[in-house]
Amino acid sequence: MAEVFGLYKQRASFIHGLHPLTKLAVSGFFLLAGLSLPGMWSTYLLVIFGLLPLAFLSRLLLELVSRTGRIVLPFMISVFLIQGILWSGGTPLIEVGPISFKQEGVQFAIASSGRILIVVGSFLWFALTTRPDQLMLALAERGLPSSLSYLIVSSIQIVPRFQARANTILDAQRSRGLEIAGSIFQRARAVLPLVAPLILSSLIDVEERALAIEVRGFNYPGPKTSYREIAQAAWEPMLQRFLLLAMAGTLILSIVLRLVS
Amino acid sequence: MISLQGVTYSYPGTSSPALRDLSLEIPRGQFCAVIGPNGAGKTTLAYILAGFIPHFYHGSLQGEVNVEGKNAATMPQRELLRLVGLILQNPFNQISGTKVTVQDEIAFGLENLGIPREEMVARVAAAMELVGVSELAERSPLGLSGGQMQRVAIASVLVMQPAILVLDEPTSQLDPVGSREVFQAVREMASSGQMTVIMIEHKVEWVAAFADRAIALVDGALLADGEPRHVLAIDTVWRAGVGQTRYTLAARRLQELGKWQDGKRLPVTLDEATLTFKAFQKRR
Amino acid sequence: MIVEKAPAKLLPIEIEVDSISFTYPSGIQALEDITIHVSSGERVALIGQNGAGKTTLVKHLNGLLKPVSGSVKVGSWDTHDHSVAQMATRVGYVFQNPDDQLFQRTVWDEMMFGPRNLRWSAERAASSVQASLEMVGLEHIKEMHPYDLTFSSRKLLALASVLAMDTQVVIIDEPTTGQDYRGVQQIGSILSELNKQGKTIIGVTHDIDFCAEQFERSILMAGGRVVLDGSTRQVLSQISVIDQAYVEAPQLMRLAEKLGWDFMPLTVEEFIHHLDG
Repeated sequence: MAEVFGLYKQRASFIHGLHPLTKLAVSGFFLLAGLSLPGMWSTYLLVIFGLLPLAFLSRLLLELVSRTGRIVLPFMISVFLIQGILWSGGTPLIEVGPISFKQEGVQFAIASSGRILIVVGSFLWFALTTRPDQLMLALAERGLPSSLSYLIVSSIQIVPRFQARANTILDAQRSRGLEIAGSIFQRARAVLPLVAPLILSSLIDVEERALAIEVRGFNYPGPKTSYREIAQAAWEPMLQRFLLLAMAGTLILSIVLRLVS
Repeated sequence: MISLQGVTYSYPGTSSPALRDLSLEIPRGQFCAVIGPNGAGKTTLAYILAGFIPHFYHGSLQGEVNVEGKNAATMPQRELLRLVGLILQNPFNQISGTKVTVQDEIAFGLENLGIPREEMVARVAAAMELVGVSELAERSPLGLSGGQMQRVAIASVLVMQPAILVLDEPTSQLDPVGSREVFQAVREMASSGQMTVIMIEHKVEWVAAFADRAIALVDGALLADGEPRHVLAIDTVWRAGVGQTRYTLAARRLQELGKWQDGKRLPVTLDEATLTFKAFQKRR
Repeated sequence: MIVEKAPAKLLPIEIEVDSISFTYPSGIQALEDITIHVSSGERVALIGQNGAGKTTLVKHLNGLLKPVSGSVKVGSWDTHDHSVAQMATRVGYVFQNPDDQLFQRTVWDEMMFGPRNLRWSAERAASSVQASLEMVGLEHIKEMHPYDLTFSSRKLLALASVLAMDTQVVIIDEPTTGQDYRGVQQIGSILSELNKQGKTIIGVTHDIDFCAEQFERSILMAGGRVVLDGSTRQVLSQISVIDQAYVEAPQLMRLAEKLGWDFMPLTVEEFIHHLDG
């Protein structure tokens, strides 16, 4: 049942018991390292020796691989085809009739696919293993205003609901004869009937939601308490600090490497 | 205890009032249903009782609204919040969207009030028990059926221990099973003694079965007020477009045919109808 | 504005649902081996608890969902071979929540959306739209913004916008939610009027008293299967079966049972007739 609640998946793993900020720091490190380290293969090393073992420890290896794949594969395929074929100049690698794959294009495709892979993968790993309410609490403890953390967490959680709503609207308009396949012109014509009801009905919902959380004292003055405690092992703050340092280090290293090359 | 004295209210930018010269008193512990056609001012009444008018919606409010002996209009909003709870039609929009389990969801309001954790745990458990959602404690609030979700919404407001609970058509989005669950939970709460319940509702058969009192509103004015089975049998209430049970409609048809005993009150519930129509058959 | 009525040229269309099963991508089996035949001009209600599969079934009738096995035919068209937009010329579908479809700036434009999608001539579209607005009683507010209407009027507008497409089959999902007593009466008379025009009406409803009064045939669903299918009187009077499907019997039938009658009345008129008869 947890699946309807955003992406979070309940599993009995020690990763799930970690403090949300520890996991945030880990995925932040992957993200930064993946985007800043030079070299075609560095992101793949991070995935193989960092992200995949963590996913395995979180008992979510297959889940993470399939979810990431569904998002990243279409991008990878198109970037390989487009960059491989359309790279102007360059060294031909394979030639099929008039079409030739250029080495430089393929290298570019490998590098950019790796970046997408690490960005999507580390975000999904974080979302799959972190309870949104605990994240909100952890952020509040670090001084983030509760209205801001409410906004962030509730909007992440609302995504599946929003998708379901969008599908219903799509169905309702197709039932009124709206053609959504076909020429670009036809597709463009289909945007307004789909987007407008989504926005208008969401606006109605927003007012009701505001009233409903108001009734529950959301803007009540004075300090809030929390129903749950977040457990944090003694070594976790140290790890978090270490990861922050590592992020800074990676950033400096990548700048230096770029300057010398 | 709620009392309204000569309350007239118009929404901003409108000339005709949504409520006209309304005066009534609702004692503590009563389950009071508000009935009437769409546009009669039922939701406006709910918002006035919950303090959304005049605290959120402006417009012109005349007359006096007293909640537990204090003037609602001048009472600080945070005080009103602890006195009155409000439940809306759509259960989904009342779920905070930030909690993973039902019990965390119910605790949301208490966290905002800054209630200590031990007290919270006890109150959450008690609220779940009262509306019958204890077995759902570890489920995701967004993965429930409509009736379950609405009961969680009720528990989430109930846990804040308001003296008054206002429900605005809480069963309109639910199937008959979900609706019955909500009616039963609300009845229990009122019967438990400490809470006054005001429920806006179209399902008149259940209003007659569960509520202590019915207030019929038409065009923003009070048309009838009393025991549901009396109010629902009144001719002017029927002509104003308030729903009727088929039992009452059948008796009205007999009346039109001139076969009804003059002066006898029309049946509203199944039990009344059974007695009435059995007697009618015997006479023939 | 004076407009000519579009000529009525509806062809009779039969609906054949032949042993269909459907499983959602999440793995939940929503329909299991359902076979239904609906003749042209019938008024059929689908009843049952939430999650019984009613909406999943009607989504098969205009091709929004395609059966995993079995087939659905509307007239000669198999839904596998036609797009939803094509099916929309034969089957109109009014969704439960009007806010899932309303998007135009005026009531009139909203009404014209369907006929324009069907590429009707301007005159034909306008006359059909005018007639449908009159049928639901919204002809005086053509220039209003749909979102300035009350919920119950938006619901009528959504219904009218589908009726304007003049399909032989009309599917209507929970027409009475959010309507007050008079609103429910009005929806009832619109359905009767449509039926007089020879249209097939398929309704999904929780309002069992409304079902008894408005539909000649009822299909009771539970757990993705058809439990009972027959005349509304036959189906609803099996009180113990429909109790098991968590549906309440209509008020007048419960009363007739208490009075010890064999006759199960559907309407107040029938009840009075039997009582006084």
